[in-house]
Amino acid sequence: MTLTDQMSSKKPDAGLRLRVLDKAGEHKPYNCYQCIRCTSGCPSMKMLELKPHEVVALAKAGFIEELINSGIIWTCATCLKCKERCPQAVAPVDLIFALRNLAVEKEVKIPESFMQSLSMILECGYISKPQATITRKLEKIDRDKLGLPKFRESDERFKATLMKALESAH
Amino acid sequence: MRTAVYWGCVIPTIQYAYEMSVREVMPRLGVDLVDLDNASCCGTPVQSINMHAAVYLAARNIAIAEKMRFTDLLAVCNGCHLSLFEAAHFLSYNEKLREEVNVLLKEEELNFSGKTKIWHTIDFLHDKVGEDAVKKAVTRPLNGFKFAVHYGCHILRPTSVGTVDDPENPRKLDELIEWLGAKSLSYPEKLDCCGSMLMLSHPDAAFTFTGLKLKSVQETGADALVDTCPSCQNMFDLRQKSAAATTGTRLNMPVVYYTQLLGLAMGIPQEKLGLNLNRSPIDEFLQKTLVH
Repeated sequence: MTLTDQMSSKKPDAGLRLRVLDKAGEHKPYNCYQCIRCTSGCPSMKMLELKPHEVVALAKAGFIEELINSGIIWTCATCLKCKERCPQAVAPVDLIFALRNLAVEKEVKIPESFMQSLSMILECGYISKPQATITRKLEKIDRDKLGLPKFRESDERFKATLMKALESAH
Repeated sequence: MRTAVYWGCVIPTIQYAYEMSVREVMPRLGVDLVDLDNASCCGTPVQSINMHAAVYLAARNIAIAEKMRFTDLLAVCNGCHLSLFEAAHFLSYNEKLREEVNVLLKEEELNFSGKTKIWHTIDFLHDKVGEDAVKKAVTRPLNGFKFAVHYGCHILRPTSVGTVDDPENPRKLDELIEWLGAKSLSYPEKLDCCGSMLMLSHPDAAFTFTGLKLKSVQETGADALVDTCPSCQNMFDLRQKSAAATTGTRLNMPVVYYTQLLGLAMGIPQEKLGLNLNRSPIDEFLQKTLVH
């Protein structure tokens, strides 16, 4: 008997499931026996209704497209409690990362800020350049004025290698 | 003792107080810090996009420490610490991944071997510098003060990768507080997440995490909340007002880095520790340390 999604009449996709399992990380959804220890300690469950055990069950059943198209994979705060506490070493958080990676690969709409961070890293090596800030007395201040060493942006060779890393990954 | 230090992204671009206080306290403990040459992002922000590239980025910074012949690398940010630790863990048993990463690293004449030990501020001070050296450096003990500590998720979990302290009952930061003559309070929300990693997708939820934790900390009556992670500090200190507004709570909680506190106990002038940069209301607390 095959499962069918009652809402969309869709069947599971074993090929996509393999692509998720192949991603770097220590996710082992097949180990899961649904004890729900992950969800009971999940802070995003309280706030955003993330239920890691359901994500695992859906991935195990092969409903990958449904998962990567759902906003739920972007509600994880990566507190890592699920990975720490799982008695079966399922690592739901690693599975969520693998699903996010696949969502990016399949060009599903993802929260913009993630891509913005990446383009900054490609531009200068870091997610941001040094920002001017203010003291509690509202004086403007920066690294220079604070006597901190000069910040060095990354060179072209680094950028080219990171591009290669992004392209070569499966 | 010479140690390579890796600052990551958040510290050198906005959380200057952490960098300043680490640079002030370490030499006084006999630690000679050397910045990594041509470092870059640790990979954490890229994990959601491409885990392979994230592992490459983490390994790159470790490989730089190796090239500079350092056996110890201090990663002062929690996120960076986990990213480096996790990459080293993956690469220790996944030969295919290690080969792929080393091919990329070779472009910059780098190589990852995994021989460099990675430290975080907490275990570095607690286990490597040690109790005697820290206590000896304290000239103005903070007797009578009570603090609440926040470890941050990424240095406590997961055990399978390796952690800085016990994941469910950490003690090292509490002990570091006690070595300054102060008391570390126990409170039920101690292990709660600051929410910072949700800022990219769900800022309101992130502020709710922050606000609820700060509210619990405030109720303990602590003189300040003490942390060691720039991302957590961004939430608890820099964005405390947003957290208060989102949760409808009146928050007046002083938040400081442990290294700022240690600096105060060593008698280092406040401005050198970046204590004029904290945005949370710490003035009253600072006054109390002076008349103390």
